[in-house]
Amino acid sequence: MDRYQWLLVFHVAGAFLVIGGATYGGILNAAAIRRERPSEVVALYRLVRFAVPAISAGMLLTIVFGLWLVGDEQLIKWSDTWVILALVGWVLANALGGAGGRREKQTRLLAERLAAEGDAPSAELRARMRDPLTLALSWGSGVIVLAILALMIWKPGS
Amino acid sequence: MLAIVGRPESWNLPLFLHVVGATVVTGATAAAFVCAVSEPRFPWLRPILARTLLLVTFPAWILMRAGGAWEDSRSPIGNDSTWLAIGYIVGDLGFVLLIVACIFAAVAVRRPQRAWPPRVVAILTGVYFVALLVAMFAMTGKPGS
Repeated sequence: MDRYQWLLVFHVAGAFLVIGGATYGGILNAAAIRRERPSEVVALYRLVRFAVPAISAGMLLTIVFGLWLVGDEQLIKWSDTWVILALVGWVLANALGGAGGRREKQTRLLAERLAAEGDAPSAELRARMRDPLTLALSWGSGVIVLAILALMIWKPGS
Repeated sequence: MLAIVGRPESWNLPLFLHVVGATVVTGATAAAFVCAVSEPRFPWLRPILARTLLLVTFPAWILMRAGGAWEDSRSPIGNDSTWLAIGYIVGDLGFVLLIVACIFAAVAVRRPQRAWPPRVVAILTGVYFVALLVAMFAMTGKPGS
């Protein structure tokens, strides 16, 4: 395997960690929304937390090895439309995912408190888990990541 | 690199579907594995495990396998290569593993008093998750090509 192939392996491994981690988190988050008891919501949110280091490491791998590939490969230019759009998308996906994650952390903390105070179903917790803004931030981040993947494949403006 | 940059437009959609399917099947397999491993502490995870395998992992596997076959039918790259053979083996082996895992996950839901079905699902999904990572490395790095 030459250097290009090794760079591509780490770059694609990053994409796998990001999209795979987002899928993992999305499945368990969707399951949490359907639970009523705070202790069950807490258990699912704790399982979701495994996705955070995977997604963070994946985002880092994609940008580091992606930039390295652009700098290393003569057929790809920094001014290519798809390269610029992918970089903007990467920043946006991080910003939206980070904001959504912080709001979900507040929901987890509320669920932990309710679980410790009798574990009764709560309308407040239910509303927080279905909060449209939190869902839009998290799912929006995922949609942008898929759009970046499409840019990587179709390479418009190259 | 020419194979990537100079790829005909008609190869893009099958490649996109294949990669999306592969990444989603990897994440969903990980979610099924974690649910199966955590089930002794949280027995209510059994229906979530079954739904994950049936509604996410399996459809994503179909997307990955169909996209890969479509791509392979259009592209002459990788014919008779080791990395493509690894992809096909992991893909086709995955079908068998996922079918068996779905059956045992359904048994786990219908027979809540039995402890062993989720253990079997944990082993199957754990093995398949590792196999998917090997296939990802082989198909991306294309060693030996």
